[in-house]
Amino acid sequence: MLSRVADNFYWMSRYIERAESITRMVEVNQSSSLDCSEEKLEEFWDPVLRAICASETFKESGKKDLAQFLFFSSDYTYSVKNCLAFARENARMVRDQLSMEMWLELNNIFLFFQSGDAEETFLQDPQIFFQKVIRFSLVFQGLAGATIPHDEGWHFMALGTFLERADQTSRMLDTLNFQTHIPTRLDLLAVLRSCSARTAFRRQYRGELSMQNVADFLLFSQDFPRSIRFSIRCIDENLHAISGVPSGNFSNEAERLIGSSLAMVNFTNINAVLSIGLHQTIDELQKKLMKVGQCVFETYVLLPFEIKSVGQTVTAQAQAQQQ
Amino acid sequence: MITGQFLEYSTGNFFDEMFDMGTELLTRPHYEKVLKRLSALTPSEFEEKRSQAVSSFLEHGVTFTVYGDAEGTERIFPFDLIPRVIPDEEWTIIDRGLKQRILALNLFLHDIYHEGRILQDGVIPREIVETCPYFRKEIIGFDVPKDIYVHVCGSDLIRDDKGTYMVLEDNGRCPSGVSYLLENREIMKRAFPRTYQAMGVRSVEMYPELLLKTLEHLSPRQSQKPVCVLLSPGVYNSAYFEHTFLARQMGIEIVEGRDLIAIDSFVYMRTTQGLVQVDVIYRRLDDDFIDPLFFRKDSVLGVPGLMNSYLKGNVALANGVGTGLADDKVTYAYVPEMIKFYLGQDPILESVPTYLCWREKDCKFVLENLADLVVKPANESGGYGMLIGSESTKAERDEFKNRIKENPREYIAQPIISLSRHPTFCNGGVVGRHIDLRPFILYGSDMEVVPGGLTRVALKEDSLVVNSSQGGGSKDTWVLKK
Repeated sequence: MLSRVADNFYWMSRYIERAESITRMVEVNQSSSLDCSEEKLEEFWDPVLRAICASETFKESGKKDLAQFLFFSSDYTYSVKNCLAFARENARMVRDQLSMEMWLELNNIFLFFQSGDAEETFLQDPQIFFQKVIRFSLVFQGLAGATIPHDEGWHFMALGTFLERADQTSRMLDTLNFQTHIPTRLDLLAVLRSCSARTAFRRQYRGELSMQNVADFLLFSQDFPRSIRFSIRCIDENLHAISGVPSGNFSNEAERLIGSSLAMVNFTNINAVLSIGLHQTIDELQKKLMKVGQCVFETYVLLPFEIKSVGQTVTAQAQAQQQ
Repeated sequence: MITGQFLEYSTGNFFDEMFDMGTELLTRPHYEKVLKRLSALTPSEFEEKRSQAVSSFLEHGVTFTVYGDAEGTERIFPFDLIPRVIPDEEWTIIDRGLKQRILALNLFLHDIYHEGRILQDGVIPREIVETCPYFRKEIIGFDVPKDIYVHVCGSDLIRDDKGTYMVLEDNGRCPSGVSYLLENREIMKRAFPRTYQAMGVRSVEMYPELLLKTLEHLSPRQSQKPVCVLLSPGVYNSAYFEHTFLARQMGIEIVEGRDLIAIDSFVYMRTTQGLVQVDVIYRRLDDDFIDPLFFRKDSVLGVPGLMNSYLKGNVALANGVGTGLADDKVTYAYVPEMIKFYLGQDPILESVPTYLCWREKDCKFVLENLADLVVKPANESGGYGMLIGSESTKAERDEFKNRIKENPREYIAQPIISLSRHPTFCNGGVVGRHIDLRPFILYGSDMEVVPGGLTRVALKEDSLVVNSSQGGGSKDTWVLKK
């Protein structure tokens, strides 16, 4: 398929996953924040802002309402509104390859945000608003699985989704490291719920809620679709589906890096991670994932002789899209 | 019988498509069935069907872009639910007339870029051709694939106050609008399924297939399934929706300049699996922009080296390079002469009488009668930059006088044709609005005119400008079977 089209697919699904993730995170934290006195609000939201690298932009924006900033601000590049607009822009460029159902869902949510109805709904009944955004993303991903061929384009979409998901889950987990106090039960629950993981976690650990268990689950769960290990495995599978090279080998730098990350999460355990430091482990993982994204771009989107000549501006632009 | 929302309808002093005005309104026979259905609708039922159509366009993203308008980057093309109906006997003439015209235009382009017989015989002044901004001297002597220059043509037809069909202009570069034609049809079939069927409307859905066949016909590599692509200027172009629409319907890639690369006189597209050779490019990009090494150097939309590959015959372009010459409104005035010269026939479709400011006698006449004429720039499209004498102020006319004097070659004038009107739903009632028709002609191994077309309607009262960029809307066009 066209390189540019592959790139559009990849970013379209990344932005949609990001919009979902931010929405769920705000939904969860907003309900907890109600238990928090007004003076403490800033302190409450700080770990979240730091984990998604938005503290400074928020301060500079001078906005009061954090949720509104994350959803609707035009200053914040990755506000949900912006993410959905980027996703649609990418989708518009590959419209000929999407199913009508996918396009209608995405275009509808885009129009919902552009028209101001979204902001209105958010003010009137935030719960309906959260559900609408999250449902959109889930329906869209379901439609992608059910209405278009699982060919190369689909693999690039999956690649975008899982790279973003691994990144977001690691950020949610990282909020625990930014707390000024030892994470409480509520903090741990919030992280699990932000990853839609509460029920799955309960089933596995029978309610034994501890920092160690939560980190173990989100990092290493074999089968929970938002765990970092699961996401990395999917990235690995999709990369190999694209190149046709069997898993366990590599034909490009992206495959090599993801293979080594997969080996890392497959063959370490939570005790080893905690002894090195959770934040440090997460930080390294995030850097590696970012590098994978960049290598995918260099391998499939740029031609070899272009990497040298235009490499710097193009890479800079590509990186600017990675938070 | 005329009932419902049509009771108050008046044709005014115009040729009306639906009604024949005698002492009272008489419905033209080919409109009877559809009028019966429409009259049965209450205003609120009508409004409901209309809003369904609007939301369907919006949800499907059937939009166009208006240039120079900061907020409205995407808009839907206003759509009117009352269809325009053309009976078979009228269509047969249009069909023959358009085929004759496109054949003559292609022979003309071949001639100009080869021997130039028509110039030597003095039928068309050489100066006219050489001063046309779309004349490409670079391709003189070049044999275009299959000797066809204009593969896709969208001529604009109007009807005057007597109902005579006339050609207003030919669009032989990258005519757009066919996607609206196809989408309008889908909407109409949903809104009035039984009436549509009962009237025996000819189908238009084969257009994408015909277009693909037309493109494949040009491929330099006939030994294998040709690789065709649609070259688009990108998302910011007004017709981007149409580009994706057509590419999807044909099952070919939609590419931008940056997706293509010319190496050693072959054109390739960059894919995730490496480079793939391209045989035919359906380009929706003007000549000026297709190759910065050849035409405009500042073009970032084109493909450096594309022209070289084209001239070596390794890749085909549709439409060919240099066809803009046939779009020039000065050239337009000579089409009847071309038909006589190349085909030895009389034109089947009339042209609008045209004064060429470039001719001294005409120019004098135009300057003296500006208030009764329409003045158009010879090489603009989209209804930009024209003057309708009867609606202009003195200051505007004076400004045009200066422009014409400064650059007479660039202006033509035509009498103000009182375009036919069609009942149209506007501001809660049915009123008469001026319309035109853009049919689409494909020229590949055969010549085909799609039975239908985009009927454009000027939604403003008394306005004669139907272009989408100037507040026009559209209607579905129903050509009836024999």
